[in-house]
Amino acid sequence: MAGGDVAAEPRKKGKSKKRKKGRRLGIRIDMTPLVDVAFLLLTFFMFTTSMSRPQTMEINLPPDKNVKVEIAESNLLSLRVNDKGDIFWSIGIEAPAKVAYKDLRSFLVDKSTANPKLTVLLKIDRQGKYSMLVNLIDELNQARISRFSIGPLVDQDKTLIAKVQG
Amino acid sequence: MPKFKPHRAGVRIDMTPLVDVAFLLLTFFMLTTQFKPQEEVTIILPASHSNYKLPESDVITISIGKEAVPVVDIAAQTKDTTHIWLAVDSQLLRQRLFGAYKNVLSPTTNKPYGDKYFLQLGFPVPKSQLANYLIDARTKNPRLRTVIKGDKLADYGIAEDVMDILQKTQITRFNLVTELAQSVGE
Repeated sequence: MAGGDVAAEPRKKGKSKKRKKGRRLGIRIDMTPLVDVAFLLLTFFMFTTSMSRPQTMEINLPPDKNVKVEIAESNLLSLRVNDKGDIFWSIGIEAPAKVAYKDLRSFLVDKSTANPKLTVLLKIDRQGKYSMLVNLIDELNQARISRFSIGPLVDQDKTLIAKVQG
Repeated sequence: MPKFKPHRAGVRIDMTPLVDVAFLLLTFFMLTTQFKPQEEVTIILPASHSNYKLPESDVITISIGKEAVPVVDIAAQTKDTTHIWLAVDSQLLRQRLFGAYKNVLSPTTNKPYGDKYFLQLGFPVPKSQLANYLIDARTKNPRLRTVIKGDKLADYGIAEDVMDILQKTQITRFNLVTELAQSVGE
């Protein structure tokens, strides 16, 4: 017969003889609610758990700001970024030229293969967006340039950029 | 013709293995789960291709929000606005850093902060005090890793100031939290 939830074995009538051993009752528990609750909790934990931790990029600063690093001018590639996110590049004291963000990686790869001693200096406008910094460092990492410096964009740089923009 | 009734077979499935598996998974998720910490300031992370993972513990997070929030500068006894939030994952350290705020009036609600510092993961700090907090936190727990979590649209100038402060406090190694960029080719 189907359907019976708690089906106990029919008890034997006669309370005969010695009852030393406790008689085992065949108890069958309906597990459905238990399973329901278990799965409910399971789905809850599955949805709330945050498996992926955010990515990070590591940055090492030089310990002392006043340490002067001397680089030959021909090895210094400056990337200046204005407040609108336009990128201007120049090597040494040349006049800066604009480069589009999407061409930046191939540009960086070209420059660093042409001159392996190239050092990159990032200068971002204070009014620029923080994402600009992350994007540029990401591009540098992708172009396998692991050494670069970050400097403030001073007024002198701003006038240089403004001159190029015309 | 006799009516033919299909005989219903009484099928009873043994649920025990199902329950076993369900509870196994349940215990796994219960033990591994880490609830997403409640964030006081919403930060939209910039994307990058970096694949370093954020360390799980001993982290001090400097968040740079898009908008400035009012804050009390305890040391100078002045009101100020700030973009910078400081978060530590240990409650003890939180109490040490922000315990002094207990009786200070919050500029947003005009009520004392009370035990808010204890419950809140992050706390807005004035820029002028950031260095002191960082030094204090690191003397308590020298293993702390510093992490900068900047909003995509936050001003770069604040990030520059924060990095200057980090350099001055001899924290020369830090991480920038980013989100994994969706497309590989981008």
